[in-house]
Amino acid sequence: MKTFVEVVARPGPGGRTVLPVVRASGQLAVRRTGPTSVHLVATAFGPLGGDDAEVSLVVEEGATLTVRSVAAAIALPSRGEVLPSAQRITASVGGTLDLGLEPTVVAACAHHLAELTVELGAAGALTATEQVLLGRTGEEPGRWTGTVRVARDGRPLLHTTVGLGPCQAAWLPPVAPRAYASTVHIGNHETNDVLTGEDAVRLPLPGGWVATAWGTDLHRVVRAAAALIPGAPVRVPA
Amino acid sequence: MTAALLTLADSRLPAGGHTHSGGVEQAIAAGVVSDPGSLAAFLRRRLNTSGAVAAGLAAAACDAAGDAVRLAHLDDEADARTPSPALRRASRQQGRGLLRVGRRAWPAAAWDALPAFPHHPIVLGVAAAAGGLGVRDAAQVAAYLSISGPATAAQRLLAMDPLTVAAVTARLAPDVDDVAARALTAALPAATDPLLDLLAEVHAARKDRFFAS
Repeated sequence: MKTFVEVVARPGPGGRTVLPVVRASGQLAVRRTGPTSVHLVATAFGPLGGDDAEVSLVVEEGATLTVRSVAAAIALPSRGEVLPSAQRITASVGGTLDLGLEPTVVAACAHHLAELTVELGAAGALTATEQVLLGRTGEEPGRWTGTVRVARDGRPLLHTTVGLGPCQAAWLPPVAPRAYASTVHIGNHETNDVLTGEDAVRLPLPGGWVATAWGTDLHRVVRAAAALIPGAPVRVPA
Repeated sequence: MTAALLTLADSRLPAGGHTHSGGVEQAIAAGVVSDPGSLAAFLRRRLNTSGAVAAGLAAAACDAAGDAVRLAHLDDEADARTPSPALRRASRQQGRGLLRVGRRAWPAAAWDALPAFPHHPIVLGVAAAAGGLGVRDAAQVAAYLSISGPATAAQRLLAMDPLTVAAVTARLAPDVDDVAARALTAALPAATDPLLDLLAEVHAARKDRFFAS
C-alpha cells in the first residue's frame, strides 16, 4: 500500500509558523498537535512488506516544524513474496526541522528500509532522531536498512547507510546489536569534538554532529546516544 | 594492462598503506578480532561497508579522471560517507602516499585535476586511469585493498600463521568480486559501520599504537 504525507511550514505573522499544508493518505494520518508540531498516527497495522510511505516535509526559511509519531511502528513481513517495507522522508529545510519518530520495531523475517533525505538552505537547521529495535520480545531479529543523506546548498554533509540484521553488512557476530539509535544535528553548533562511549560515538559534522549508539536494549542505547548530545541531562551508564 | 592492476594492488607498492591497520589494531584491543574466524568476520564486515564505498568512489574517480569539478564533487561525497575524523585522516594520508608514487609511476595530466589532499579511493581511481585501467579494475583494487592491508596487520599483531591469514584473504575473493561488481551497478554506495567509526576514534586517542589507523 502507498502512503503519502505532506506538511509545509511557513513563517506567519509575528514570527510565528503557520502550517498551510498538512495532509496524509494511506496508512498514516497527520494531526496538528501544537503551533509548530504535527504527529503521525498509524491507521493500520504495519507497515507490511511491500508497503511504501513517502513523507514530504517543507520548512521554509523562518519557520519551525516538529514532527513526532504517537507510537512505535512495527514492520511486519509480507505474506508470500518477501518484500521490504519502506519509509522515505524527504525534507527541504530553510528554517528549523525537528524530526523524532517513535522507534521502529522490525519483526522476524521483515525487512524495513528507512530513507531520510534532507536539503538544507543557508539558514536551515536539522535535528533528526532514529530508534530501531530488531525483533519483538523473544523473536528473531528482522532486518533494517537506514540511509541518511543531508546536504547544504547541494554539498553533501552526511551520507551513510547502516544495515542491521541477519546477512547485513554492519551486523556480524560478535557485534550484532538488536537496538540502534542515532541523532543527526546540523545547525550552528560548530565543534570538532569526538565523543566516545561504550558502543556509542559522536562524530562532528559542519555545524553539528551525528551521535550513534547500539546494543541489546533499546532504552539503554537511547540513553547512551542522548549522553553524547550536548546539554543532555543523562550520563553514559558505565 | 593487467600488470598495472597488479602493481596497484601490490602491498609492496610504497604508498604507505602498511602503516594502517584498517581498524584491526583496535578491533584486537577490543576483543573483536582474536583468531582466524573472527578476523574473517571483521574483514567481511569491512569489505561490505568501507570497502564497498571505496570501490564505488574509485570507479567513479577513474571515470572522472582529469575532470577537476567531478573529482572535487566525489571527494565531497567521500567526506560525507566518512564522518569519523580519524578515518578521514587515514584516507587522506593514504591518498597522499599513493599520489606520490602514482605520479612517478604513471605520469599523466590527470593527476593535476585532483583536489588538495584527496581521499585514497579518489586517488586510486585516477591512478587506475593513469595506468590505463578501467572502472572495473579501479573498483576491484579498492575492494581488495580494503581487506588485504588489515589482514596483514592482524597477522603481525596477533603473530598469526601467515598461511592461515593468506587463506582467509583468498577465501574472500568471491566477496571482493561481488562488492566490486555491485559498486559499478548501483548509485555510489554509502554503507557504513558505526563499530568501525568507534574503533577508529578510540584508536586515534591512544598513545600506545603501532599503526596510524
